[in-house]
Amino acid sequence: MQHTVSTWNTHFLSFIVLLIRSFPQSSPSPISSLHSPRVDLVQSVNQMVGGGVIQQILRRKLHSQSAATPVLSWFASKKVHEDAAGSSGVRALALLGAGVTGLLSFSTVASADEAEHGLACPDYPWPHDGILSSYDHASIRRGHQVYQQVCASCHSMSLISYRDLVGVAYTEEEAKAMAAEIEVVDGPNDEGEMFTRPGKLSDRLPQPYANESAARFANGGAYPPDLSLITKARHNGQNYVFALLTGYRDPPAGISIREGLHYNPYFPGGAIAMPKMLNDEAVEYEDGVPATEAQMGKDVVSFLSWAAEPEMEERKLMGFKWIFLLSLALLQAAYYRRLKWSVLKSRKLVLDVVN
Amino acid sequence: MNLEKTDFNNTTSSVGLYFIVYSDRAEDEVVDPKKYLEESCKPKCVKPLLEYQACVKRIQGDDSGHKHCTGQYFDYWHCIDKCVAPKLFAKLK
Repeated sequence: MQHTVSTWNTHFLSFIVLLIRSFPQSSPSPISSLHSPRVDLVQSVNQMVGGGVIQQILRRKLHSQSAATPVLSWFASKKVHEDAAGSSGVRALALLGAGVTGLLSFSTVASADEAEHGLACPDYPWPHDGILSSYDHASIRRGHQVYQQVCASCHSMSLISYRDLVGVAYTEEEAKAMAAEIEVVDGPNDEGEMFTRPGKLSDRLPQPYANESAARFANGGAYPPDLSLITKARHNGQNYVFALLTGYRDPPAGISIREGLHYNPYFPGGAIAMPKMLNDEAVEYEDGVPATEAQMGKDVVSFLSWAAEPEMEERKLMGFKWIFLLSLALLQAAYYRRLKWSVLKSRKLVLDVVN
Repeated sequence: MNLEKTDFNNTTSSVGLYFIVYSDRAEDEVVDPKKYLEESCKPKCVKPLLEYQACVKRIQGDDSGHKHCTGQYFDYWHCIDKCVAPKLFAKLK
């Protein structure tokens, strides 16, 4: 990788040299037309590099790339000579030179960045997105079913209790029945022993593994994260999780993923430990909705969004109400202030010469 | 809280909701709407697709293991995603 990048660099450098020769009054913009989209990151970095100190550091760093040295020394000498003349146009030129050296040192990073950050996920039009939109509770109910049947074998949701589901996705009786299906360790009893009992509404959702080490051991060293807050714990969480779950594809040409990992373009780095879990008809919905991959993805993300932000509906109502009321209060306050100040603002001052 | 159970067996409305063949209930072949939309968006994203295919051809002979087409792949799928995303949820319940 290293030698192919430095030949690219020298080719690029010669381009820059030509450019600078033809544009004496230079600014960073002529360079941008040369860029492939992949180097946009570098261009923004280029704009950041302006200081003299950075210039020095980068020049020293770049001296180690032998192919670039002769052109660099040309830059250095040009700067030294023309600094003596002291024209500001040359200063811009020198800054551009610094930018180029910055550009070169960051260009090796640019090519790795795409897979590193993962493919940017699109924005889906979630039904609960609007300023006064509530959750689709039928979707939350289906999403919980998907979680329970597909995800709960590896992912915990240890911050959600059965009672949280009451009134959101299930009736109290349904939630009680669901809780009773699990066994919970409780105690100590009067004899000092721990015992197991069927679950109650107040119990948390069951954890698949006793602790993180057990989870890692069972999953090839990777820890399936707790999902209670996952849509808040990831940038653009809702869209990211949906894109991730429905985005398992064949890797691009030239990328091979080792045994035990799977390719997912949305996952930073591209290689994720979790296999594709959502497959058509993996779950049979109670309400008869066809359980396609996209449908299950939407429902499970609705459920996870609710789990991370159960207060969302109340928050939106409260926000709407108080923003409205405070705007009225603002208008009232503005009027009152202007009323009181009108006395001072409408007075006249007469300046008279003292004889 | 009472969640109504809708009888989906006799639904005739909602165009495009299921991708089941309407006239033939015997074939309950469910098609994932996302896959369907990704296929239908392919014509819109021909340019990045051709770029990707050109890249694949370019690196075919390479044995160093350092060459890959992630960039073109991302460009293509980003185009597809942008096309699919606004339409997908209309097709889902």
